[in-house]
Amino acid sequence: MKILESSAGALTNFEVLDLLRSRGAGKDPTCVIASVSPSEFKVFDYLEQTAACNQTKEIVHKFVDECKKYDLAKAEILNVVNMRPSSAVEVYTIIEECDSRMEEKIDEFVETIAQILPPPPSQEQPGEENAESKEESKEETAN
Amino acid sequence: MFFLSEIEHTLRLPPHLLNQPLNDAIKGELGSLFLDKVIEKLGLCVSVYDIRSIKGGFVFPGDGASTYTVSFRLVMFRPFVGEVISARLKESTKDGLRLSLGFFDDIYVPVPLLASPNHSEPDPGLKDGVRWVWEYDGVNYPIDGTDEIRFRVHNVSYPPIPLDQRNDSDEKELEQKVSKPFAPMVVTGSIDSDGLGPISWWV
Repeated sequence: MKILESSAGALTNFEVLDLLRSRGAGKDPTCVIASVSPSEFKVFDYLEQTAACNQTKEIVHKFVDECKKYDLAKAEILNVVNMRPSSAVEVYTIIEECDSRMEEKIDEFVETIAQILPPPPSQEQPGEENAESKEESKEETAN
Repeated sequence: MFFLSEIEHTLRLPPHLLNQPLNDAIKGELGSLFLDKVIEKLGLCVSVYDIRSIKGGFVFPGDGASTYTVSFRLVMFRPFVGEVISARLKESTKDGLRLSLGFFDDIYVPVPLLASPNHSEPDPGLKDGVRWVWEYDGVNYPIDGTDEIRFRVHNVSYPPIPLDQRNDSDEKELEQKVSKPFAPMVVTGSIDSDGLGPISWWV
């Protein structure tokens, strides 16, 4: 076995998820007998729980274009796309020297993330509850 | 987290696969050979991405199978140092935490890399288990298995395959060695920073 190129390109979680989905992996039990081995299925299960399950190619391209004005390293953009931080604290973890490089732009960056990248499935449930409570309060004020 | 690696390998295709289309047969053989295996410095092989070229197809004398020189790309799981990954707690002992990603279980967070200051208390629910608690501003934050834990990759190491040393060791040592299976790839993580640790601490 000869290694021709050890690093021919980095893949985001979304790209790997897309690859596994195109092979036939799916969440329903009917898709179990596909050309996807059990170990690939475990990777698919893990990726479905992260933010990558709601992303599409257009979303990722759009986000990378938006990131150009923030002067981020490729690894940091990759981390952000995979992790989808929803607050400034999480952005501090991912981006090194955040205070000196981003200064006041952090909130703007968090806003950009929240607008372009869809939230992961674990974060959607509290969002739905908030929306329902907001609708209820609007109805009460209307009455 | 995932990288593409290009590999060239001389593959022997067993004769019972001769009726299948060549690409599928080679993909299947490569899968059984590389999938779920760790290649040193490249990481854990997750999937075969594509086949770049297939050369050869010679049958060597005395052999019923044909041999191909295939160059292909594999999707490797290779976390880089400084990457933030979220995982689930697998076990918690006095040496630290062990986290799992479902497809990869050998992620260790040793005690020096836990959120400090901290203390440990014995956990009655787990056998030999210890629960770690982070103290911040007088409030105790325990690390339990309820939600995902974010950690930053501190180091990725590939320990060499251990040689069989049954001559020197006693029976007790043999039992201890056997109970912990060999891990070809070990990821060391740290949760000693803002935004790391269980998600519920920061939301």
